[in-house]
Amino acid sequence: MGGTAVSLFRASRRLGGVILIAFLGAVLVFFVMRAGHGDPALSALGDQATPEAIEAFHRRWGLDAPLPVQFWRWLSSALIGNFGTSMTVAGGVPVGQLIASRLPNTLFIGLYALLIAVTISLAAGTIAALRHGRLIDTVATSGAVLGISMPDFWLAYVLIYLLALGAGIFPSYGFVSPGISLAGSIYSGFLPALAVAAPMAAAFTRMLRTALIETLHRDHVRVARSLGYSGAFIFVHYVFRNALIPYVTVIGLQVRYLLGGTVVIERIFGIPGIGALMVDAAFARDYAVVQACALTFLVCVLTVNYVVDLICSALNPRSA
Amino acid sequence: MRAFLANKLALVGSFITGFVLLAVVIGPWLSPYSPTDADFLALLAPPSLAHPFGTDSFGRDVLTRVLYGARVSLVVSASGVLAAALLGCSAGLISAYFGGWSASILMRISDLLFSFPSFVLALFLVIVLGFGATNIAASIALVYLPLFARLARNMALVVKEEAWVQAAHLMGQSTFSILGREILPNIAAPLFVQFALGVAFGIVIEAGLSFIGLGVQPPNPSLGTIMADGREYFQRAPWVLTLSGVAISIALLGLNLLSDGIRDVMDPKLKARL
Repeated sequence: MGGTAVSLFRASRRLGGVILIAFLGAVLVFFVMRAGHGDPALSALGDQATPEAIEAFHRRWGLDAPLPVQFWRWLSSALIGNFGTSMTVAGGVPVGQLIASRLPNTLFIGLYALLIAVTISLAAGTIAALRHGRLIDTVATSGAVLGISMPDFWLAYVLIYLLALGAGIFPSYGFVSPGISLAGSIYSGFLPALAVAAPMAAAFTRMLRTALIETLHRDHVRVARSLGYSGAFIFVHYVFRNALIPYVTVIGLQVRYLLGGTVVIERIFGIPGIGALMVDAAFARDYAVVQACALTFLVCVLTVNYVVDLICSALNPRSA
Repeated sequence: MRAFLANKLALVGSFITGFVLLAVVIGPWLSPYSPTDADFLALLAPPSLAHPFGTDSFGRDVLTRVLYGARVSLVVSASGVLAAALLGCSAGLISAYFGGWSASILMRISDLLFSFPSFVLALFLVIVLGFGATNIAASIALVYLPLFARLARNMALVVKEEAWVQAAHLMGQSTFSILGREILPNIAAPLFVQFALGVAFGIVIEAGLSFIGLGVQPPNPSLGTIMADGREYFQRAPWVLTLSGVAISIALLGLNLLSDGIRDVMDPKLKARL
């Protein structure tokens, strides 16, 4: 019982750290955004707008108040779920509603890519480690180095060329939301997810292979072998479990690259996600939307890292 | 150094990286074509002996543009990562050596920057700073700053306890001389590995930003703008996008192999961690 209380305490302390980082992120995003050049009034009203019209626009959106006041207004309403209203990119639509309609698409592609990357890397990493130094190991490691050397958006076009335009198996553009049809989203999301997944799969494979090879040569594995346990039993119980900790840690570290990768991929395949929204809002200088997108990404990464942390301490009770 | 030469990865990596650097430095002089002048007699010509990478919609030689563009991309990425290395290492070393509240503030900032998806952070900074090569370099620098600060800090915390550092301290060497002469040389190799990896990923960030139109502005080519052009007529002339992407991959492959090799040489047990 005591152990549970300690790990609960640890988990909640970590959660406090996560909330602090999220708050600092909100401060950073808000003030840096306003320090930049450009005026949303100009992009909403055009360069020919009269000073009176610009002033009226500022007053309507509360941009005439001092910055700390603006920040407080934004933060206090954000805490009750009101993230403001889109000024230009989708005039008048609440930002929370925009994010809520876009986030499932980004999460779907992200999880889909993660699933592909984990599947490929578990198979490739395990085979490469068990056949260490053989031809199949060389093929897997070379493939992994090639994989991390390909920009994902370039790979996306190669996939479109080969599998969409060439073989005609997958659509080259457009995405069916998972809310409308799950089968449709699995089918139309395959190429984008694969493009995002490839560099991840390569990085995960390298990590898993290294971790497995290191563990295979540890003393406790040798002892188990000399005691006559079967190879499969040793691998599952003594090798794989230990190698999982660095593997899961790397997945946590790579999630920031994975989510970053979805931004360009969403533009290429026309997926209405958070990344595509952020770029559109960037061109339109829509403060509230850019802010909300950046913070949504931040919260996604923080959440994943928090979960990874919990998994790692479950896998390795000593670290608690 | 002998270990370095005996390591196949390091050798192949430095060969490819050297080849890329050579191509980028002298390639544009060797090319008979201009990267920006249009040739309306050779629009979208497929790859041939005269144009190994084909031509684009203005009849410009794609290989020439890739060589000029790689210059821009490489300079943008390397200067960004270099700035990050200089600032990040100084911050990391100082916080490791002095500790206290400055160190904890530094680590919180680096935690924060580290929690944004890297491309989203770069995108956000380019939105704020404005488009263009200098601002991309600045945003690459900010993406890498926390990484160098953490790495330098963590390694310096270990090295500073070593006997020779204590000895230098007792012999009355100044703090800056200890940081520069005793600590920095001993943590330089992992920092260099991070630098090589950083330049590789910086090229991808630059290409990605330019690709969605937020980066280096045309007609000046960068690898990203060439790929963005190629995207417009991808179905009619797939070679523009495909071959310029191959050029990026070759540069990345060289840098990745080089850093793998250096890491193996430094620590034979820790093969290819990431």
